Parts: sequence; structure tokens; C-alpha cells
Amino acid sequence: MKRIKNHPILGETPERKVVHFTFDGKDMTGYEGEPIAAALKAAGVMVHRYTAKRHEPRGIFCAIGRCTDCVMIVNGKPNIRTCITPLEEGTDVKTQYGVSAERNQ
Amino acid sequence: MRIERYDMIVIGAGPAGLSAAIEAAKCGIKPIVFDENARPGGQLFKQIHKFFGSKEHKAKMRGFNIGKELLEEAEKAGVKVVLGATVTGLFDGKEVTVRIGDTIKHVQGDSILVATGASENMVNFDGWTLPGVIGAGAAQTMMNLHHVKPGDRILMLGTGNVGLVVSYQLMQAGCEVVALVDAAPRVGGYGVHASKVARCGVPFYLSHTILRAEGDDHVTGVVIGEVGPGWKVIPGTEKHFDVDTICLAVGLSPMAQLLSMAGCQMNDTKGGYVPVIDEDGMTSIDGVFSAGDVTGIEEASSAMIEGRISGLAVAHYLGYIDDAEKQQRIEEQEKALDALRQGMFAPQNRGKKIEKTEEGIPVSENLLDKGYIADDEIARYPGVTHKKGIHPVIECTQNIPCNPCQDACKFGCISIGDNITSLPVVTEDSQCTGCGMCVASCSGQAIFLVEEDVEPGYGEVTMPYEFLPLPKKGDCGVALGRDGKVVCDAEVTKIRSAKAFDHTNLLTIKVPNDMLMKARFFKSQE
Repeated sequence: MKRIKNHPILGETPERKVVHFTFDGKDMTGYEGEPIAAALKAAGVMVHRYTAKRHEPRGIFCAIGRCTDCVMIVNGKPNIRTCITPLEEGTDVKTQYGVSAERNQ
Repeated sequence: MRIERYDMIVIGAGPAGLSAAIEAAKCGIKPIVFDENARPGGQLFKQIHKFFGSKEHKAKMRGFNIGKELLEEAEKAGVKVVLGATVTGLFDGKEVTVRIGDTIKHVQGDSILVATGASENMVNFDGWTLPGVIGAGAAQTMMNLHHVKPGDRILMLGTGNVGLVVSYQLMQAGCEVVALVDAAPRVGGYGVHASKVARCGVPFYLSHTILRAEGDDHVTGVVIGEVGPGWKVIPGTEKHFDVDTICLAVGLSPMAQLLSMAGCQMNDTKGGYVPVIDEDGMTSIDGVFSAGDVTGIEEASSAMIEGRISGLAVAHYLGYIDDAEKQQRIEEQEKALDALRQGMFAPQNRGKKIEKTEEGIPVSENLLDKGYIADDEIARYPGVTHKKGIHPVIECTQNIPCNPCQDACKFGCISIGDNITSLPVVTEDSQCTGCGMCVASCSGQAIFLVEEDVEPGYGEVTMPYEFLPLPKKGDCGVALGRDGKVVCDAEVTKIRSAKAFDHTNLLTIKVPNDMLMKARFFKSQE
């Protein structure tokens, strides 16, 4: 389990509202307001995108919105930094290929 | 085009920027603070360890609690913070452009303070772009802010304070740290930070580097090797670890791009590309100030003081305080800042190998090589004494600016003196009651209580314990030595938690008398 429920210093993780979202069409759940990347990480999703030229996988790297490695297609919009974009009910997240949602472009 | 005007524009709501804004606001200025993040406080809210220093530096408080205090102080002082606001340019006439959402705003200040902090350095090796290779800051962000484990099995590259502290935090979050690796021949961070990781059983590989990350779509393993002459890996020294995460903690670089684009005079130093500033933090451009890590990497504690100094300097620059008030108030802050810049790890000692402490005691070579003090080295330090009844054993062996232990003991057992980098001394005729306040107050978790002959042949060791699940009285297990290896069987005889300990529990174990100076950690046997 990737979620930390109880922490020796921070105590119990506060209750948050569960929201539903989709990742490449699959139904998933996460917490409202947490970064999309955190919800994906908790669900075990490591690959956020593949690079345009060499089709190499990329995932979370800096987690604070600087490196842009974690960008994905969110609600149809590409290049969204998932590490600093809050998750909402119904957010639609897709793996990004280059700058597209399609594998062969 | 409409241009908003402010007395003082602060760029960055981290420890330096907020402190500057607070100090300026207290003098009557109405500052505005822009920060690109969703929350203020910079990296403070990811720092869950107790800070070093003395009372005036908020020592023994945890970073995130210092952050909370700073935010309350800012609110009280009337500091306006605009979040989600990225400053994209700094131009002539002290004008800045700020992107908020989809709009760009032009804002002009009578003064500007740039406190943009630092960004993490990276190294590359085969496979370094694979998902699962992350920065140490990312690990802290995920586990301490978002309550998600960065991985299950992790290898840390870098033994500076960031690498050491984050390794410990990873274990607190429930992750396994398989090794700490550093290309340098010596541990870079505080010995006490290294020791608390080493005694949990994490091996240190100094003079080693990462050869490659393994995995197709994400990290499944890592190979390290020993670095020989010319920084080349010696063939045959490769070691493989099964890991799902590789964490990089290879230093920080000042983020001075805004100052550089504005035409400030810059200095290319070993510690990064930084603005040339005067003693008040003013850059070569009149009215443009800078404070915190963007002027050179230090600790959050020093960033807060630098910020306060710059805030006062801005107040003077704008005519809100006179020469005498400025001088008097800055002097106090500089004294506090000077105290933090002393000792073995002071900026002026960076990269130097120090052989002896200020007291003339040889430093522990083993601590620098392997992350822990060897059994035959420990007795030479003044905090390590031997007596019959219960007494503190202070395994603090490097001169760092820190003294909460001295104030923690109400019975005068511990003395550091006026020089806050001195090693703590356990006074001979002291009357230790075993209250444990010193154990909980030590930010380096380097104080233990030892008592011989609690029952025939057996004594007790009390140690700081910050992990879950918390062992219970009567639990049986093994005691680990400073090197993290099993030294003997042990039984938990007491566990104490108190508000004053601030989440550092005091775990007491019973071990044979001859193990009292060896047993430094406890592992339950399931």
C-alpha cells in the first residue's frame, strides 16, 4: 500500500473526500485536491508519458512543477503538470505520447 | 496598460521571503509577496525533523511547525501573499511581470526582494530518466505533504544533509532504504544525521556511484560501483540492488535567473551562480535586494535571518526606520546569523577535511567513512562518561551550532557554554533523574540514557524512537549497534511519550551490562 495512514511525526492522515477519475479510460479513485500525480502514484501508475522522438517513458521526477517530466493529458489538454494540478471529481487523465493522446503520432 | 505599485515586492514566500516581508511590515511597509506554489512556506512544510541551532533559531522545533509560526506571524503583520503567481521577469524601474492563471500582470515596486530559493541538482547515468528515479525533494513532497510513499525499496544517492535526512524520513514513512551511496570519499552531512540512519542497519557506500538504473518502463533495480582514480568505476566492484526507486540528493543550486536577467552583477562560485550583494542583501541594482538560498545555499534557519535583515534594510532604504534603528536591529540578527555560520560545517569550511574538533579531539574517521562511530572511538568525547547511576551519554562528536540539550536539563548535567559549537560535556557531579528531556531535545538524536545494574548483570539504555509501530513494554527483540548490526537480545522495559518530547518517544531496553555502550537501536522480533 502506497498511502501513509499513520505517521510517527505527522500523525494520522486527515480524512479527505474520495473522488473518482479516469486514467486511460480506467476508473480510479483518489482524494479531492491532492495532486493528480499523487493519486496515480498511490494507484501504482509509474509512467505518465512517452517522449516524442525516442518513445522513452517518463514519470514523476521533481514533484514541484519544475521539471515537467510528469505532464499528461488532463481533460483533453496536453502538457499539464500532474504533480501540481489538483484532482477533482471526474478528472480525465491520459498517458501522453509526445504531445498527443495517440500512440502513433 | 495598468501598472500596480507597491512599497515592496517580495518574490518567493519561503523562509527568507516571508521573514523579510514580516520584518518590513512591522516597520510600516505594505509588502506584497508572490509565490508560484499553491501553498506558502517554501520547503519548510516538508521538513519534519527537529532543527539545529539555539533558542533564537527555534532549535529543536520541527521545520513544519516553524513554518506554521512563520505563516501566523506573517498574517498578524498584515503581509499579503499571492499564491499561484509566477514572476516571469524583472525589469528596469523595478518592474516585474507576474503570471496568475492565464493573465500577465505588470507590477512596480519601490523596492524588490528576490527570495526564489534553490533547485535540486541532478546527475545522469544510464537509465536516469526512467520513472522511479526521483529527486530527494520529490520524495519529501510525496510523503510529507501528500501522504504517499515514494517507493517501497529505495536507494539514496548523496550523503549531504538532504540525503541523510530524507533517508531517515523515508524510513519513518515506512519505506525501506537499501543503501546510501556517495561518490565522495566522506559523508558530507552531519555525523548525527548519518548515525541515526546507520544504526537502523542502512549500509553506506562512500566512493561509490550509480552505474545504471535497470528496468524497461520503470526502475526495477540499480547497479553501483566503486569510484577509483580519475572518477572511473573500478571493474569488478559492481553491486546490484533490487529497488523500485532511486532518490537523488546531489546538492542544490541557487535559482538566480531573475536577478541575472535584471542585470545584477553576478558571481560564479563553487556553490552556484549568485548575485553580488552587500551586507544588507542589496544587489548591484539600487533597491533590488536578495536573501536566502538564492544568494548561496545554507539552511532554512539562516535563510530566515537573512530575510529579516533584508526586510529591515528595505525599511531603511524606503525611509521607514533611521540609521540608528537599522543598525541596532540588524546587529541582533547578525549575531544570530553569525552563530549559525560557525563550526565544522560552516560555509568557510566547505570541502575542507577537518582532523580535530575545536577541543582538539580527533574526529571519528569511521563516521566519515561508514556513517557511524566505531566502538573504540566513542569514549574520547566529553559527552560520553561512565558512572554507576543513570546518566546521559551524548554521542555528539562534531562541532555544529546547536545547544538545546544544555537548556533541556534542569539539573545542570549538560554544559556547552557560550560557544554553541562546543561539544556538550556531561558534568561529573550532576544529579541525573532520568527525565529524558535531553534525549528528546537533541535534534541529532545523539543522546542516550544509560544505567548499569538495574538488575544483576543487566542494565538499561533509553533511546529516541521516531518510528511506527511503537514497541510496547515487554516486547522482545534485538539491540542493534551503531553500525546497525545485532549486538544482543533486548527487552523493552519502558516507553515514554509526552507532549514536551514532540513525537520523539523514549524507548528503554534492558541489555546485559557489557552491551550498554553498544546497544543504540531496537528491533522487535515478530
